[in-house]
Amino acid sequence: MLMAVLISNSVGNILVERFNGVPSEERLHWRSFLVKLGADNLQRASNEELFVASHKSVHIVYTVLGDVCIYIVGKDAYDELALAEVMFVITSLIKDACKKSPTERLFLDKYGKICLCLDEIFWKGIVENTNKERIKRLTRLKPPGEF
Amino acid sequence: MAQPLVKKDDDRDDEEYSPFLGIEKGAVLQEARVFNDPQLDARRCSQVITKLLYLLNQGETFTKIEATEVFFSVTKLFQSRDIGLRRMVYLMIKELSPSADEVIIVTSSLMKDMNSKTDMYRANAIRVLCRITDGTLLTQIERYLKQAIVDKNPVVASAALVSGIHLLQTNPEIVKRWSNEVQEAVQSRAALVQFHALALLHQIRQNDRLAVSKLVTSLTRGSVRSPLAQCLLIRYTSQVIRESASNTQTGDRPFYDFLEGCLRHKAEMVIFEAARAITELNGVTTRELTPAITVLQLFLSSSKPVLRFAAVRTLNKVAMTHPMAVTNCNIDMESLISDQNRSIATLAITTLLKTGNESSVDRLMKQITNFMSDIADEFKIVVVEAIRSLCLKFPLKYRSLMNFLSNILREEGGFEYKKAIVDSIVILIRDIPDAKEGGLLHLCEFIEDCEFTYLSTQILHFLGIEGPKTSDPSKYIRYIYNRVHLENATVRASAVSTLAKFGAMVDSLKPRIFVLLRRCLYDSDDEVRDRATLYLNTLGGEGEVVETDKDAKEFLFGSLDVPLVNLETSLKAYVPSEEPFDIHSVPKEVKTQPLVEKKAPGKKPAGLGAPPSGPATTVDAYERLLSSVPEFSNFGKVFKSSAPVELTEAETEYAVNVVKHIFDRHVVFQYNCTNTIPEQLLENVIVIVDASDAEEFSEVASKPLRSLPYDSPGQTFVAFEKPEGVPAVGKFSNMLRFIVREVDPSTGEPEDDGVEDEYQLEDLEVVSADYVLKVGVSNFRNAWESMDPDDEKVDEYGLGPRENLTEAVNAVISLLGMQPCEGTEVVPSNSRSHTCLLSGVYIGNVKVLVRLQFGIDSQKEVAMKLAVRSDDVAVSEAIHDIVASG
Repeated sequence: MLMAVLISNSVGNILVERFNGVPSEERLHWRSFLVKLGADNLQRASNEELFVASHKSVHIVYTVLGDVCIYIVGKDAYDELALAEVMFVITSLIKDACKKSPTERLFLDKYGKICLCLDEIFWKGIVENTNKERIKRLTRLKPPGEF
Repeated sequence: MAQPLVKKDDDRDDEEYSPFLGIEKGAVLQEARVFNDPQLDARRCSQVITKLLYLLNQGETFTKIEATEVFFSVTKLFQSRDIGLRRMVYLMIKELSPSADEVIIVTSSLMKDMNSKTDMYRANAIRVLCRITDGTLLTQIERYLKQAIVDKNPVVASAALVSGIHLLQTNPEIVKRWSNEVQEAVQSRAALVQFHALALLHQIRQNDRLAVSKLVTSLTRGSVRSPLAQCLLIRYTSQVIRESASNTQTGDRPFYDFLEGCLRHKAEMVIFEAARAITELNGVTTRELTPAITVLQLFLSSSKPVLRFAAVRTLNKVAMTHPMAVTNCNIDMESLISDQNRSIATLAITTLLKTGNESSVDRLMKQITNFMSDIADEFKIVVVEAIRSLCLKFPLKYRSLMNFLSNILREEGGFEYKKAIVDSIVILIRDIPDAKEGGLLHLCEFIEDCEFTYLSTQILHFLGIEGPKTSDPSKYIRYIYNRVHLENATVRASAVSTLAKFGAMVDSLKPRIFVLLRRCLYDSDDEVRDRATLYLNTLGGEGEVVETDKDAKEFLFGSLDVPLVNLETSLKAYVPSEEPFDIHSVPKEVKTQPLVEKKAPGKKPAGLGAPPSGPATTVDAYERLLSSVPEFSNFGKVFKSSAPVELTEAETEYAVNVVKHIFDRHVVFQYNCTNTIPEQLLENVIVIVDASDAEEFSEVASKPLRSLPYDSPGQTFVAFEKPEGVPAVGKFSNMLRFIVREVDPSTGEPEDDGVEDEYQLEDLEVVSADYVLKVGVSNFRNAWESMDPDDEKVDEYGLGPRENLTEAVNAVISLLGMQPCEGTEVVPSNSRSHTCLLSGVYIGNVKVLVRLQFGIDSQKEVAMKLAVRSDDVAVSEAIHDIVASG
């Protein structure tokens, strides 16, 4: 299950967060844990360099893209490789939506579009789609190209 | 965006303006009124929805009224033909997740979209409807969903399949009816449809082993298009292999060829999944492992950090069971020590520590020393734990490993990290006698400059036990006495106790200790002064120096034989009066923790760990409950209350479990009953117990439960008399008898007439373990040595063939019902021999300690040597009887 997708700005303010199966009292803990993880490791990281961590059956893949940091938490079947796959599609769609590596401003300008992309990629902890071109068409309610 | 852009910080460049700066819920809700305009401005509406989404994503919540208002307004947007806006509307409805009475408003619009000619409307309407629907609506749209699953447009099919996965949680009966369509979708040419269909089909059939096996057999022969689906197939295949548990002696493991073939797949995720599946096979052979290890080794030098991490994580696990198989990868892993991703570096190091041999220890330690300075505490803890195991594996290398630990102990670090190091040093001191003196000095140096009160007090306690037994105990006194001058009151009090222990054990030091203790009489803290006074009196310091008697040593070194939590509860309940507080009145039972609080049962306790203790609330609750029944008032004090034993299967009409309360001459069964049928009210509920297979028991009282409404648990009791102090055992069969009255669901009123009915429950046994309390001791060796060796009873037993030693150890622990000590219930994997230490209190308040030594031969025959010490030889013999008859 995909437990959380969090997108924050460079100083740790949350821009987007989606939790699934995480009780609300634990969300604050996760939020601060992930932001601290980013602060410890992403400062010197290059764009889209993937970082991985795991504890028991919970896995975390995180990266920095322009001014935003993206964290994905999954467990059981959603291991580091599956999360990396999801991360890849999220970063490429954000780049495409913003036309380049996003600044915080650009990201917020394209906020609605990014929300639609995330909605196509996953919902309630299950990944639905990982094909970038297809997702882009679906957010505009266009049938997928291969069809 | 409509929001005016205001500069929020002079230091930032103008790129940093936020379009949502100053956004405020009330204002956005006001703006949402544009949804009601007769002439809809699609662009503006989209912007407002974006703002609402932003607020929701920021953790903002809408009140019920606000959410309803927004929801109704959003439904108006279905009038617009703007495609972008329609897509936003779908998302917004899902985010608002309307309540059941609101859903009806939007249903007709969504149903219309669901039958639309535009495929994309259909797909999205399915996704939204399935997320907001309930069972009744679902039956209405089921026909459309079944069609959608086999729709030629893959987006529509995927939408229906994924919705099916979500709906399976809430409406399994309905979704299970779709299996023919899902089966068809598994054969789809579209990769994603196949992936989603496979996931759903497996979930539908997961409880049917044969069906899963057939599914796997057919798909492993055919072609699966999507790498994601292929990964699922590998997982399901592993599951089938695990469950088939067929003969692996011949090397013909079913589906192994399929897994091995997947190692040559073009997608990395499939290769990795197959490699991991192979490494996790039960009883995997070296020949089977080799190809998987080879691909994992290649991944170790991949440019993708995720692959490196996945590979090293898997190899780390393999190293626990097959260290030799991983040694080929050691060179690749050594290069990962400098990996920028610290998680990868830590995993590489801990793997190397498991696979390394004695000769490579020094080289490895050198590499680790450089690495330690730039990783976070949580990684350091992992390394410290790995070093501890390495040291126990190669005791001859203790010098360099202990030096490493003492060096990192001096460096900066948080509490958890320092505690991990101290725990490791303590364990090494306990297990490697040669490491004792050096280790104690390292700890002494650490407390000279330790900022953590907890660690200082724990180390002082440990020094008090181990220090006096060394060749030159006097050298530790300076470090201890310094604490009395330099530390806070808690540490000072600990130091005073430690000094007293040295005084008690080492007669030559006694006069000097007295001098130091007398100085503590003027301490500013009353606890420190009290302790100094107490110890001076106990050790006879006020008069001339005499040899410390046994009672004083017992007082200083003996373990407190009641759980601290129970003591705390009793002290809080104690009302000051003429009668002094009696420590024997404190219950000794260690209660098992509730299920939700259980954490990693296999985890080894920390080196300085206190004896296990549990919450006293259940004990209190039982005591209160039993004391409320007048029939049981003359039974005396409860000796032990068992954990609840289930007498019904899960999800039956009536759920019943029983708690056995053991008294000196009685046993009370407390039946906890729950009625799970809303349409029924049960009255005069009682359990009819047949004790014909329990000859020593005779029923003396029972207390029926007057009324048992739906979902409101109640208790009924049955009491038996038994011979005093005898661990009588027996089997009881149980029948639940009651009067059932139908309840009108609309009014909640029960009918006047009731019918008598019965319900068969599972049998219940009273076993020997019910007469033993789980009571831990803080130091088993001290407790063991303090008991008379002449009364020790030793015998040997054959336990027959067992799967492994863990199984044998667990069987004996549960047979005796005693508390495992010092983590000895955990058997290291592949061990051929093991010693397990148990402690407890036998009925009649007799303390008993057990030392079990197990051995297993090549035929898996287990032999056990049982040594029992107790204050009463009869009890030691009783323990042997339990094992002999079990």
